[in-house]
Amino acid sequence: MSAPSSFSRARQHWLWRVLAESGQAKAGLVVLGIFVLLALVAPWIEPYDIHQQVGPVYASPSLHHPLGLDDGGIDMVSLLIQGGRISLIVGFAASLVAMVVGGGIGIVSGYYGGWLDTVLMRITDYFLVIPDLPLAIVVAAVWGPSLTHLILVIALLLWTTTARVIRAQTKSVRERAFVHRVRSLGASDLRIIARHVLPQIAPLLIANTVLTIAVAIFDETALAFLGLGAPNSVTWGTIIEFAFLRTAISSGAWWAVIPAGLCVALVIMGCFWLGQAIEDALNPRLKVSYLSPRSFRVIRLRNQDTQSTPDTQSTPDTQSTREVEQP
Amino acid sequence: MPRLRFVLRRLAFAIATVFVAITLNFFLFRVLPGDAVRNLARVPHASPGLQHALAREFGLDKPMWEQYLIYLRELAHGNLGVSFTTRQPVSGDLRQALLNTLPMVSLGTIFAILIGTVTGVVSAWRRGTVLDRVSTNLAIAFYSFPTQWLALVLLIYLSNWLPSHGMTNDFLVDPSFWQHELDVLRHMLLPSLTLGLTLYGEYTLIVRSAMLETLGEDYILTARAKGLRQRQVILRHALRNAMLPTITLIALSLGYIVAGAILIETVFSWPGIGSAVYEAVTKRDYPMLQGAFLVLTVSVVFFNFVADLLYARLDPRITE
Amino acid sequence: MSQLRRVAVAIVTVMVAAALASCGGSNGDSSSVLRIGTSSGISSPNPFVGYNQDDYSVWTYIYPTLLQYDTTKSGFPYAGNFARKWSTSTDGRTVTFHTVPDASWSDGTPLTADDAAWTLTMIKKYAHGPTATWAGSVRYMTSARATDKDTLVVTYRRPVASAYSDVGMTPILPRQVWGQYATGNGKQLTTFENVPENGKPLVGGGPFVMTKYTKDSIALFARNSHWYGPAPHISGFGLQFFHDEDAMITALKTGQLDAINEIPPTSVSSLQKAGQHVYVGPALSLRDLIINSDPNKTKNRELLDPQVRKAMEYAVDRDAIVKTAWLGYASPGASLVPAGNATGGTQWHDPDISPLPFDIDKANQILDSLGYQRGGNGIRVADGHQMSYNVIFPQDEEGAGDRAFQIIQRGFRQIGIAITQTRLDDDAAFQAIYGGKKSGYQFDLAMWDWFPAADPGFILDAMTCKQYGDWNDSGYCTKQYDALDLQQDRTTNASQRQSVVFQMQQMIYAAKPYIILTYDKRLDAWSPKWTGFVESPQGFFNNFSTQSLLSVRPA
Repeated sequence: MSAPSSFSRARQHWLWRVLAESGQAKAGLVVLGIFVLLALVAPWIEPYDIHQQVGPVYASPSLHHPLGLDDGGIDMVSLLIQGGRISLIVGFAASLVAMVVGGGIGIVSGYYGGWLDTVLMRITDYFLVIPDLPLAIVVAAVWGPSLTHLILVIALLLWTTTARVIRAQTKSVRERAFVHRVRSLGASDLRIIARHVLPQIAPLLIANTVLTIAVAIFDETALAFLGLGAPNSVTWGTIIEFAFLRTAISSGAWWAVIPAGLCVALVIMGCFWLGQAIEDALNPRLKVSYLSPRSFRVIRLRNQDTQSTPDTQSTPDTQSTREVEQP
Repeated sequence: MPRLRFVLRRLAFAIATVFVAITLNFFLFRVLPGDAVRNLARVPHASPGLQHALAREFGLDKPMWEQYLIYLRELAHGNLGVSFTTRQPVSGDLRQALLNTLPMVSLGTIFAILIGTVTGVVSAWRRGTVLDRVSTNLAIAFYSFPTQWLALVLLIYLSNWLPSHGMTNDFLVDPSFWQHELDVLRHMLLPSLTLGLTLYGEYTLIVRSAMLETLGEDYILTARAKGLRQRQVILRHALRNAMLPTITLIALSLGYIVAGAILIETVFSWPGIGSAVYEAVTKRDYPMLQGAFLVLTVSVVFFNFVADLLYARLDPRITE
Repeated sequence: MSQLRRVAVAIVTVMVAAALASCGGSNGDSSSVLRIGTSSGISSPNPFVGYNQDDYSVWTYIYPTLLQYDTTKSGFPYAGNFARKWSTSTDGRTVTFHTVPDASWSDGTPLTADDAAWTLTMIKKYAHGPTATWAGSVRYMTSARATDKDTLVVTYRRPVASAYSDVGMTPILPRQVWGQYATGNGKQLTTFENVPENGKPLVGGGPFVMTKYTKDSIALFARNSHWYGPAPHISGFGLQFFHDEDAMITALKTGQLDAINEIPPTSVSSLQKAGQHVYVGPALSLRDLIINSDPNKTKNRELLDPQVRKAMEYAVDRDAIVKTAWLGYASPGASLVPAGNATGGTQWHDPDISPLPFDIDKANQILDSLGYQRGGNGIRVADGHQMSYNVIFPQDEEGAGDRAFQIIQRGFRQIGIAITQTRLDDDAAFQAIYGGKKSGYQFDLAMWDWFPAADPGFILDAMTCKQYGDWNDSGYCTKQYDALDLQQDRTTNASQRQSVVFQMQQMIYAAKPYIILTYDKRLDAWSPKWTGFVESPQGFFNNFSTQSLLSVRPA
């Protein structure tokens, strides 16, 4: 029942269909689009150089500086634009890494099964039971700070959920009649995966990736706040961190804190709307659902009318933490 | 006895996961750059021999595998070791940290459930209206705010009225029992409100969708036609339907929330498990880190186990 | 539903009750209890375990010390504490202290010179293990004994210049408590918790006793009625620990605290606006840009060239750092020994060393003359590689240090040198600076700070060869400097020692293992409801003396 049959018939159009049908998806796309556009043209629209001090420390908002200055006397608007650029790069890159790694492991694990599946899933289990943030703190401290390391640390937290979801979906696709048919015709595993499995799971993978961008940006602000962000670059996370380190709150400099957090929330909501709309379209019949703890993913509880075969049991109905216990 | 076999299998699995985690954690911390004893040895009057003395005292001069075996042996006897920084047993420090965190996290979860239930019910009831959309999206917005940011914003606007640091007003002279409890509660309000606000979105969505499942469109129409009393009956019925997923969610998220409390505890100087972990990382306090991660891992695995059993009870097909 | 509603009602009721209770004001007898906020905090009340500044200050108030500094007078002359008279023999190898007669510990046990002798002997005995954190206090000491109950005689193998501040500032511990742990290998000296238990205060001999201690949150102190000195005006004080400086400052503004021991520069104006008293004075701390000076360093050896270092110093805009990073609450620095440094009436800072002015043209001239031409991206090329370096940046320096880094980065950019920041936690940062005996010092640049002890011996010693891998964070090591260090360490005549100390500062300034950026200003704040604080370069709550909390009182 989890087969997105409508998509397999016209999969080149599935994304368009989601966008056309869902207002939520449109809203998400518009919000994300605006921020991506801002990031792309940042160097041309920045009102001031973020490496130059343009006024006194924590100067309040004025005509020239609508959001005031930060603790280094740097224009907040320029900082937000530049910070968004790096935050988005971190978010997108980390999700991409998570998609490739998680998706790859999920496909291999689900397609081949057997001991390989067991080993790979035990590894994902370890990452699932270790609380995210403490693990990230340790790993970030081990690797030392750089933008690349930051992206990898965040990806390390993200890939497990993707792997779980994709594994389950791959397993169910593998058992479908047409895959059996192709295999009996002598197609190689690689070919089956590339031609038949991948297209089937692509929508799910994309929905997943959009949602992980939200988590990645969220994690970046958390790590930055704990002093483990990327040095030498401004992100929304480091803007909040600096405000905290330099007592912006008690100095009354709300402008050094509030806008950055609002930007983060807007981008995360954009991802959430878009990702959710795709997932809803994939699996509209599932009813009771909930947001999983801090992973921005709506989890469906087991449906009463689900057929209880091993394969449908581990369809995307249950993800994330629930998956820990899946044999 | 498929039920018993299922429980046993899950139990064995949980224990295996914990063991793997213990082992990996042990080595994970030891690859941290820096030296557990160097910081401790860098005090103004210290003798040059201090570093070696400390390394010997902590057993860090032994080969890694031997340290690991010693750790396992001690753990088997229920001994979590002695903290490098305070030289006190880790178990005591950890217990205190957990006892500090749990009430705050629990109150936060209660806030989340309360706000979530109310907004979820309202959303479901006014499904499709502007009110529904505003309430649902507001829930998602709060869910999207960076935790530390929300904490700082609350600090800006509420710290003049509510205590914003620590657990108690320690300058209270001989407080009575109730005075003390109220004092703790007052200190707990800001951190747990932050937690509640960041989490309530989860409950809004779950209550909303569980309600909608029960309230078919026809039902609503009929109920409305029959007046308020009928509506209350349905509400009750629908809410009961939402109880199961809500309870499961609580069980599942508790372990994560405890670990995720790091950010909130940092902003509000709450001496809990999150701060303890963060402190231990920067000080390279291996025994403390191992102990904290053990507790966190076990609690996550345990709550998952509980959630599994809950499901098994409610949906017997799982055990087959 | 009804169940839930009941719970909800219960919770709301409790919250309302809590809010009401808070309005009632329940701070009891707190008017004469001084509530101090600190962001450093106590790492351990055990003198053989703790290492924070606040730890040292606490021991100064709860244990007797022989001497203290009089911070009300310039040059900080020695003042008596448990010792009322003190003298050094002409050969400098015997120091005699005459202690207060008929003193007692807080539990009533007699407190005599014998307790001091016992403490010093015990530290000496375990100096290579449990008591190593105080080993510096008993350097070259051969014996410490009480010739009678009011006379302590300490003998040395050779003269020790800092004997008064070493022995004089070491807390004297009650033998009746600690004696049982100073047996065998002495390991129990460090595992002993040393906290108040069963509602009984910690046995001590200073003006205050510790009555309550909760790790990472609070320590409370009450007047010690058995103390040998004049009673303090306050009935006690508390030390509350804050992770978050914003919360701490808000707490002072809203009356939840009476004073803050060290506030960040960014909060000075908001506190003044709120009517709080802010103290600004010289501090005993410096911020430095470290240039690796290990002669065996393999890469980027152009940084060893004193001319390159000079060019770099010209490119550091100290005034901008003071203005932006410190909001004016710092002063440009040049010498290794900060301007606030004086002990026993002698000034140790060499006032003739002054920083090079910010002069980009001069810096460029120097680098041009060395033949380091600019590449296409504006970065100079030295010996075939770009002059592009990594700056190791410990978490210690976060905040103001980040801003200072950015200003240095801007200046260096103008002279064709690129720098990037590697932020590490303190432990990892030192490891990145010193890679162990084999590799030695391989880094290029780093930023850090020093909060030196009152006696200059410590910071001067940190630049010697023997501190490789311990306190030495620049790889600087010369025979001449080490010889001078040995000399200053044994010169008991203050003015003779001063000239050696000045000479050493000049050597360091010329070689530039550090470009000293700024000296901090000491910033403290307290409520106008209090008066009588005695300030010092380490704040009003310090380990220099017990003067401050003895004279503070409600205004």
